[in-house]
Amino acid sequence: MIYLEVRLPDIPGSLIELIKPVSQNGGNIHGILHHHDKKINNMIPVNIWFELSEELIEVSLKNIKKGLMEKNIQLIKISVGSKNKILTFILTGHVFDTDITETIKRLDSKNIKVLELHAKFTEIDEISSVLMKVEFPEDMTKFELTNEIEKICKEKNLFLIRS
Amino acid sequence: MCEGMEVKICLIGMGNVGTCFLRLLKEKHDNIRVNFNFNCKLVAIFEHDGALIDNDGIDLDNLLEDYNNLRKNQYWKSNVKAQDLISTLDIDICIETTPTNPNTGEPALTHIIEALNNKIDVISSNKAPFYLHYKKIQDLAEKMNCLVKFEATVASCVPAISIRKSLIGNTISRIRAILNGTNNYILSRMATEGVSFSVALKEAQELGYAETDPSLDINGYDSAGKLVILSNELFGWSKSIEDVKIKGITKITPHALELAKLDGYVIKHLAISEENNLIVEPRLVKKDSPLNIQGTLNLIELQTKYAGSIILIGKGAGGFEAAAAILNDLISIVKKRRGF
Repeated sequence: MIYLEVRLPDIPGSLIELIKPVSQNGGNIHGILHHHDKKINNMIPVNIWFELSEELIEVSLKNIKKGLMEKNIQLIKISVGSKNKILTFILTGHVFDTDITETIKRLDSKNIKVLELHAKFTEIDEISSVLMKVEFPEDMTKFELTNEIEKICKEKNLFLIRS
Repeated sequence: MCEGMEVKICLIGMGNVGTCFLRLLKEKHDNIRVNFNFNCKLVAIFEHDGALIDNDGIDLDNLLEDYNNLRKNQYWKSNVKAQDLISTLDIDICIETTPTNPNTGEPALTHIIEALNNKIDVISSNKAPFYLHYKKIQDLAEKMNCLVKFEATVASCVPAISIRKSLIGNTISRIRAILNGTNNYILSRMATEGVSFSVALKEAQELGYAETDPSLDINGYDSAGKLVILSNELFGWSKSIEDVKIKGITKITPHALELAKLDGYVIKHLAISEENNLIVEPRLVKKDSPLNIQGTLNLIELQTKYAGSIILIGKGAGGFEAAAAILNDLISIVKKRRGF
């Protein structure tokens, strides 16, 4: 998994400009976080994470960086997280009413990256279920990861079912 | 005991399990005599309202013909209690199968303690005394030089506890198990039919798989109790049910099951014992995992150091299943007393 952190101008179409070099160089995008609340000088921090084919990783990364520079996109950090571990879990409860974006950001702040998210619900304010696939650092145990998720679940009265 | 050919037993509690045990004992009588070289003589049966005590041995044919014959028997005594009379009996083994309070373990706990205090070996199908007071019972048994067996308490006749002696050369590192057939049935139905929890529960009740009050099952308490007993036996711990982190299955929705399915998972109510932790909770399990069993079956997976995963699957409830486990315990006590 490749993690990219950039700053994008808060103007329409800038996100598309970020995605283009990633997808044109074989990046399979797993997630994007757009931190509107952290805007500084009209620039928004954006995290994007994607997969690249193992054999082409070096070339692809070089081309993605080049593409971003050509578009004057400010690259803050790029990291290859191939050693990270993945856990799938389901949250059930008022997942949306309790601010799912905040849930994702809380996980992100602990270096737990949400790679995939699927939801099932009937009404937005009814009980819903969300499946998340997260990547967590090699030095974090499953037990520690579960504790972090459990903390959020306890606070937001969500029910956790993990793999 | 057992130096001759006769093993004297008493039965406390003649409900479904107790009655099935007596039927099995009758059926296997000749087999036991031929293969294990002893006769089993039933000298007492205790019920909630009295006892049938006959030192010459109770006639099983007559008793099993009609349950009412218990109280019609000339040796029936009303209003006597097992805990008051155990010390007066000349018996080798006490078999305890009474309906028991899951929060106190009574009256089974008192019966077990009383039997041990009188140097009588014990077999029980009651979980509660063991998930509440495991250490107390084991310490007393050791002190009194008695044997206590309780195979039927975990997954009934599936040899979950007794497999320990077959794995003494190995090291068990983790237990993952499905120990409640009711919950597994409900989750299986929810997954395959897409029905809600309440519909699946009602169906389980109609089919006799769930109790009228299913709370001990669906809230995970039943599985937790079994996990404590199994872990204590296989890992040499002395934990109680208070040490288990328990989550039930009532909050599992059809949506959650659909999402799981989309990603190649099913949801199973697992009992897990690992690294000194005891957990009972719903978990995502890969669809092609051996843990994905259907219906009311029980499963115990033992992760071992030298032989990988060892899995036992079978019916975890039922009168004759528990009775067979009790008979197994009885034969193993007799063999041990003979020095085998």
